[in-house]
Amino acid sequence: MQNFNYKRKSTILIMNFFIGIFFFILLIKYFQIQILNHQKYVNKSRRNSIRQVIQKAPRGIIYDRNGIAIVDNRPIFDLQLIPEDVNKNFDYHLFSSITEIDSNSVKLKVFNKKNNINKFKPITIKRHLSYIEMSRLNENLLSFPGMLFSELPARVYPNNCKLSHTLGYLREVNEQQISIENSVYKYGDIIGTAGIEKQYEDVLRGIDGVEFHMVDKFGRDHGIIDDEIKYNKKSGSSIQLTIDSDLQLFCEELMYGKNGALITMNPISGEIISIVSSPQFDLNSFIGPIPFSTWNNWNRDKSKPLNNRVINGYYSPGSIFKLVTAAMILENPSINHNEKINCSGNYKYYDVDMNCWNLDGHGDVNLNEAIKYSCNVYFYKLIQEFNLDDLFNMSEKMGFNKKTNIDLPNESSGIIPDKKYMNQKYTSRGWAFGNLLNFVIGQGEVITTPIQIAQFMNIIATKGETKEPKLLLNSKSKNIKVNLNDNSWKFIQQSLEDVVNQKGGTGLNTKIDKGGIVSGKTGTVENPPNEPHSWFAGYLKTEENDLLSLAIIVENGGKGSATATPMAKRVFEKYVSIKQ
Amino acid sequence: MLNKYFFYKKNIELKWMIILPVLVLLSISLITLYSTKSSISLIESNFFKQCIFVLFGFIIFYILQYVRNVFFYEMAYVFYFILLILLIITLFMPSKFGASRWILVGPIRFQPSEFGKIIIVFTLSKFLADYKNNINDWKLIPFTLLIASFPAILIFKQPDLGTSIIFPAVTFPMLLWAGVRPFHLFVVISPILSIIAAFNLKLFYSWMFVLILVIFLSQPKVKNGIVLFIINLFFGTLSSFLWNNLYAHQRNRILTFLDPTSDPLGAGYQIIQSITAIGSGGFLGKGFGQGSQTHLRFLPVRDSDFIISVIGEEFGFILIFIVFATFYFLLYNIINSSSKLNNKFGSFALIGFVSTIFFHVIINMGMVVSLFPVTGLPLPFISYGGTFLLTMIAIISIINNIISSDIEV
Repeated sequence: MQNFNYKRKSTILIMNFFIGIFFFILLIKYFQIQILNHQKYVNKSRRNSIRQVIQKAPRGIIYDRNGIAIVDNRPIFDLQLIPEDVNKNFDYHLFSSITEIDSNSVKLKVFNKKNNINKFKPITIKRHLSYIEMSRLNENLLSFPGMLFSELPARVYPNNCKLSHTLGYLREVNEQQISIENSVYKYGDIIGTAGIEKQYEDVLRGIDGVEFHMVDKFGRDHGIIDDEIKYNKKSGSSIQLTIDSDLQLFCEELMYGKNGALITMNPISGEIISIVSSPQFDLNSFIGPIPFSTWNNWNRDKSKPLNNRVINGYYSPGSIFKLVTAAMILENPSINHNEKINCSGNYKYYDVDMNCWNLDGHGDVNLNEAIKYSCNVYFYKLIQEFNLDDLFNMSEKMGFNKKTNIDLPNESSGIIPDKKYMNQKYTSRGWAFGNLLNFVIGQGEVITTPIQIAQFMNIIATKGETKEPKLLLNSKSKNIKVNLNDNSWKFIQQSLEDVVNQKGGTGLNTKIDKGGIVSGKTGTVENPPNEPHSWFAGYLKTEENDLLSLAIIVENGGKGSATATPMAKRVFEKYVSIKQ
Repeated sequence: MLNKYFFYKKNIELKWMIILPVLVLLSISLITLYSTKSSISLIESNFFKQCIFVLFGFIIFYILQYVRNVFFYEMAYVFYFILLILLIITLFMPSKFGASRWILVGPIRFQPSEFGKIIIVFTLSKFLADYKNNINDWKLIPFTLLIASFPAILIFKQPDLGTSIIFPAVTFPMLLWAGVRPFHLFVVISPILSIIAAFNLKLFYSWMFVLILVIFLSQPKVKNGIVLFIINLFFGTLSSFLWNNLYAHQRNRILTFLDPTSDPLGAGYQIIQSITAIGSGGFLGKGFGQGSQTHLRFLPVRDSDFIISVIGEEFGFILIFIVFATFYFLLYNIINSSSKLNNKFGSFALIGFVSTIFFHVIINMGMVVSLFPVTGLPLPFISYGGTFLLTMIAIISIINNIISSDIEV
């Protein structure tokens, strides 16, 4: 027994030593991991479990001048399923009856992913859920384990007026836009690609927020980490347009079914009250960024719905352009504008026969009558006193051949030919003074845009003291100063008033019975072999001395006095009724 | 008859030197499980279930105090055969997670291999207590290993590598306790170590150096020493042959053990995540319920086999140290008590139980820091799991019983 106990004591030593050694080695290993390499594993664990989650910032809302929302945001929802979480309690029958998606195809999608490495990654089952679908799915939440909705921001157009060209649309950013240095865009972002959305992209765009979320090894979200820095999303700023959605809607309905443009403006401030390019496209016909196929269809459409005719439409101004020559005549002291000139309906310039639109002739007409009846021959004759440079300079003075600087992207500047232009086009011997006869009545190479014509009316209505056109309310725009004698302005204004209000005036159809006096000028653009385009440009002076200028062109609308004038009248009447 | 096996009246004497560290470890377990329960309702949580198991364990502890040691001594072989039969039945049970370890009787599910950890100690203790003075070392070693290997092989077939290792492993300390010369045990173990060491050339050279050192210090006959060395060399070269006969997943496990980063998303995943969790805990840990690794389920089986990672992450090196210290305190006290016993069977049983606890601790705590391969052995008193906890509490109860009623058998 003694021996046994002695032996035990040495065995106890061996055993304790053995346990001690092993525990010591393990403890050293833990010390090495937890104390010596602590920081390394802290970093590793962070990388493991923290993910940036982008909080999409909504774009700014666009209001009309009265504070009515024209463009708003609405989150749209996609229906998704997490394959791993879809279990036997999932009611496929109910699911397919709500979503109208074949339950077998849903089953197949889910089961294909179930044993996949991506089984925790949501798969999209249906895009852009309707409100009814979503609330019905939500009611039966417990029947659909693994179901979730993913939110994405989209534009909605709550107002009835379309304003499509002016508002523009959004597209997903492309590679090029992302790769620009210091680009604020990332993949999947949307960007204003036309119209106001493009013009005021910097204002309307919000700043996306960043949240740091805990995620587990399957990528499942476990919510925000409080102690991490968080960047709150910043919504884009809202903007208010000068548009009156009431008048805008009226103008859109008026232009419906016709091709052309219709603009109304406040001549004093340059504010655009309504702006229509017809045909329009329907921004409500798609959700979210514009789909490529839709855009493509519009682009191929022969009526060119994507073309904003107001700022890009190239039209000859027709007889409206005679007012430029009228200004030249009035400003030239050596010409007596009251002197009558005979119009026989025909004018022979060397071997070229030029006709007045009234082949019977207007008889003896002075400048006022020539404007009132829109006599060509009077201007054919009087342009002889001038040269191309004179016409070009006065045209530029009146805002032609250059952009109006309206706050919309990609405006066209139109064309007023000068010597250089003509030499380039016809060589210096290829053209002659005779071409001027065409220019003076606004035909030939003279090209203007509807917005330029509207601005021309602003200049006349304000005696040359207007402002550049603008769409953004309460924004500053440059003054425009056109220096003519006060008498010249008065004469032109009186003549335009006579066009509309006196017997025989070509614009008589635009005369309104009460509320104010309309002045204006018709125009007809020959467009053989088709019907001519129909112009009217003018302004309304209300009884309260309120001004509203207007320019309208209806493609293939016939003579200016036939189509455009009654339409202009209705717009003026509508404006008067709104004002009251 | 019953009086021989059971006490009818007894003042239960608690050996606090053994009970106290166990209570400390149980507390650590419950705190950790409460921390990981997160958003799950209390009733469904592992914490709540473990609380029930602990209460159930206390009842078992109490009941076992009324069982006389002589019952275990006399019934040891009977238990042993029942164990073998149950293990055979287990093999025919429906499998779960690719292994059939459980016997299902109605709603109750239990793992015979867990209770087997107690039975093998009883069986070996009875065998050694009966024969240790009658037969010499060279016969004692193969007999005990044979006794251990039957259940070990059956458990290995389940397959449950970790548990099957425990059975032969406990025989060596018990043989040492029986007075077998350490060198003789070394001779038996060394070929196995040679095979393992041969996977890594550096490791193999170091092992050969240790081998020569041990042979030199033990001073056997020159002929025996040389033969032992050659046998070990032979087993070392056998490695590559064995390697070629392993299943792919077994090879994978060995490769991953040698370098966990070689397969970061597959087999090495658990180890990398576990080390990351423990390392990021630092000295004081991230705090109660703050372990991002564990709470986000980067850690698999965090409540059972890898619970030490949660402790390391949330409570830091300080609590890891306390866990080691507590285990050492517990094991030291049991060994100390066993040397003072007159009850030979009880003395062997205590050493057997110490070995069982010890091997669980080092394999589990080594496995989570990649010192040992992942074998799936839980940490005594701390890991979540009903059968295992009850087994461990039963062991403590029996130890308490043996020490407090020391009668020679």
